[in-house]
Amino acid sequence: MKDNKLINQILRGLLIYGSAVVLALGVTSIFVACLGYDVSDALSTLLTTSFKSSFGFSETIKKTIPLLFATYAFTIPFMIKFFNIGGWGQMLMGGCVTAAVGLSLASLGLPPVVMVPLLLVVGMLAGGCFALLAGFAKAKYDVNPIISTIMLNFVAYQFVNFIATSSLYKDPLEGHPITRYLPSSATLGFMGGVPVSIFLSLIVIVLVYLMMKKTKLGFEITAVGYNLKASKTYGIDFSKTIMLAFFIGGALAGLGGCLEVLNIHGRLIEGFAKTSGAQYGIFGILTSLVVAGNPLAAPIAAFFMSVLLVGADSLQRTMQIPVEVVFLSQAIIVMFVVIIRKRFGKGGI
Amino acid sequence: MSNELLRCENICKTFGSVKALDDVNFVVQKGEIHGLLGENGAGKSTLMNILYGLYNPDKGKVFLSGKAITISSPLDSIKNKIGMVHQVSTLVPEFTALENIMLGSEGGSFSLPEAKVKKKILELSEEFGLAFPIDEKVKNLSAGVKQKIEIIRSLYGGANLLILDEPTTSLVESEFHQLLKSLKIFVEKGVTVIFITHKIKEVMEACNAVTVMRKGKIQSTVKGEDLGVESLVKLMFMEQDIEVNESALPKVTVPESKVSSEPVLELKGVCVPGTAEHHSLEDISFKIYGGEILGVAAVSGNGEKSIAECVVNPSIVDKGEMLVDGESICDDSILDVFDKGVFYTPEDRIHEGILNEGSVKENVLLGHHRRDKFLKNNLFVKWDEVSLAAKKVIKEFNVATPDENLSIRRLSGGNIQKTIMGRAFVSPLKLLVTHNPTSGLDISTVEFIFNKLVELRSQGSGVLFVNEDLDELMIVCDRIAVLHDGKLKGIFKRSEFDKYKIGLLMIGES
Repeated sequence: MKDNKLINQILRGLLIYGSAVVLALGVTSIFVACLGYDVSDALSTLLTTSFKSSFGFSETIKKTIPLLFATYAFTIPFMIKFFNIGGWGQMLMGGCVTAAVGLSLASLGLPPVVMVPLLLVVGMLAGGCFALLAGFAKAKYDVNPIISTIMLNFVAYQFVNFIATSSLYKDPLEGHPITRYLPSSATLGFMGGVPVSIFLSLIVIVLVYLMMKKTKLGFEITAVGYNLKASKTYGIDFSKTIMLAFFIGGALAGLGGCLEVLNIHGRLIEGFAKTSGAQYGIFGILTSLVVAGNPLAAPIAAFFMSVLLVGADSLQRTMQIPVEVVFLSQAIIVMFVVIIRKRFGKGGI
Repeated sequence: MSNELLRCENICKTFGSVKALDDVNFVVQKGEIHGLLGENGAGKSTLMNILYGLYNPDKGKVFLSGKAITISSPLDSIKNKIGMVHQVSTLVPEFTALENIMLGSEGGSFSLPEAKVKKKILELSEEFGLAFPIDEKVKNLSAGVKQKIEIIRSLYGGANLLILDEPTTSLVESEFHQLLKSLKIFVEKGVTVIFITHKIKEVMEACNAVTVMRKGKIQSTVKGEDLGVESLVKLMFMEQDIEVNESALPKVTVPESKVSSEPVLELKGVCVPGTAEHHSLEDISFKIYGGEILGVAAVSGNGEKSIAECVVNPSIVDKGEMLVDGESICDDSILDVFDKGVFYTPEDRIHEGILNEGSVKENVLLGHHRRDKFLKNNLFVKWDEVSLAAKKVIKEFNVATPDENLSIRRLSGGNIQKTIMGRAFVSPLKLLVTHNPTSGLDISTVEFIFNKLVELRSQGSGVLFVNEDLDELMIVCDRIAVLHDGKLKGIFKRSEFDKYKIGLLMIGES
């Protein structure tokens, strides 16, 4: 009986997502055909680049990790029905504070076992506290978090410029705002082309799942999202819950930014936390909307979105099809998923 | 039969696996006030929503004045001069009464002949004895006035068949009598009324024909001299064994109980400042002993919500002393108060009582989520324990659900209330604070909930029973405190219960 229910749920999910993807790829194909390219070539490039070579696969994982954290940044505050548009800003803060602290501590010559965990915590705190500003403004002054988080994105962007151009950290040989490299004791390496932060990400996936589904805090966040008034009536502290939700979301985004610095670039680059020229924050929102804020499905959706992003880069290189065509199909996927879920599922957004 | 206005033939409607309407035949004569009576979930609202075009029937036909009609949307029903007033207000709160009535009924896309409409509305409201402030924003008006506006909106649209879905749910006694008067005028002016309710008392007062529904089927239609409380109860509940008193309420036996020597709850000079959410309270003092049910009688909006809430949420109190078992709770949070053995079932069961997207299990946990019993290492929720507790609630409170994982919004109102009530019993109770636990429920559920309150009292716990229905209070309470405009007007012992006297105090006369 229970197994049947689970199988039904999975089948229904596959049907919703499958049909949305098929429909979106159909629409994309029409555009590709109109632009005068070969449709079957384009589709196979889009969907298989990630799996055809180890380079393609490691590129996909490199994108999946920051995208996953950006997705969590939106998903967790969204569980209490608030929009955190500031995932990107929180990633930037996580990344640039990590870089600043890492460079400042370089002369101490701390071993990696101290340096790396320290910087991970610093990155998380930076992102978390930055998001907490929006949570605090909502809890105490009823400021709409959509507005505050969008505004804070600008602050974070300028803060990256400030750090990357400051004489303390700037790499004098670069024309672009870029800091010097962090000491090797602070950076993370690769295993077979895949960034080692993948292991950390897997741990975070498990922790987020446990937190949301099994802990008291997860229940309180869920309850506030289900019904604010009832949770207040039965003693849940709304202000504390919303601030915690924003802090956790922001901390995960900050961790994403921190890992970009420690594992991908090895330093702070103005314009990091972007893929194919667009912010991870935006893709994180898209991905979160696709999974309707379900923290369990987020890693799968983040991986699939990354497959499309890698495919998009490849399309541009090999067939000169602009990456924007793939952004288009991602947006269409989201819209179809939302529509189909509204029409046939149990709601969501 | 020339006098026949509406005839429904063989209407069937299923929702998933539930047969909401099973081969329903229903006839209304012109000029009737026709009661449609049944328990919650009997199919009354489904049938009316089909007439109003909100649902399409799976099978069956509808005839209006002998002509077959198809109603596939509310627009069709308006065209056929059928108007419906829903249980929950459908007015736009930010609009005035006038704007609400104009909405969807007047003018082309770009013209709004306001003056003309206003004149016609005023004429109508005078004609039917339904006066209301036409230029006031609806959000500032009471439920009773909103209902008048909705009725006028239907009549403005030319309705000559008016469906009222549970029109009395949010009305106080005096508003109900006003509504009765208006209904009489409607009939004189040639408007036929279908009056949906689950209260026998109301159909006896209002209707001249009554159709009883049960489990999606029409039981029978009774008219004129055949109308009687007993026959209606029999039709509504068939095999169920419910005894009913004169006012169509369940008879519940309240045995002698031993009252504790020390009070479980004591309020001394409690004041609550008035806010948008809370009516003020002034200098409230009373005691509740173990083994006692203290009722609070008040006309809605006189501070009865504040009394219920201040006991579980002392942060709204700004002066005075509150003691549970002799211990002050004035500085306690809601959860601290719960830890002292107090629990609460709020007035608005959908908006304040449940996590509507959550499962039955999650809802049972709410309010107990910080108790050691349900936590491991003070961090992880022991969902196994929660499941067991939920199963116990389902069993002991007869909640009709296949299991504890079902989404609570798929339950009926009565089963939701039983779950909320059951949640209060999950931990040992010294004092239960309950506000309107029976509103909108059918008589068998009311009886069930009363029996639970009496059971609690027999176990030596206290109950603070805040209720808008004085008849109900008089059945189960040991004492009744009367509240008017935030002040306590008197406390009556069971031997002194006098409906007339209490009623006068409730409206501020003495």
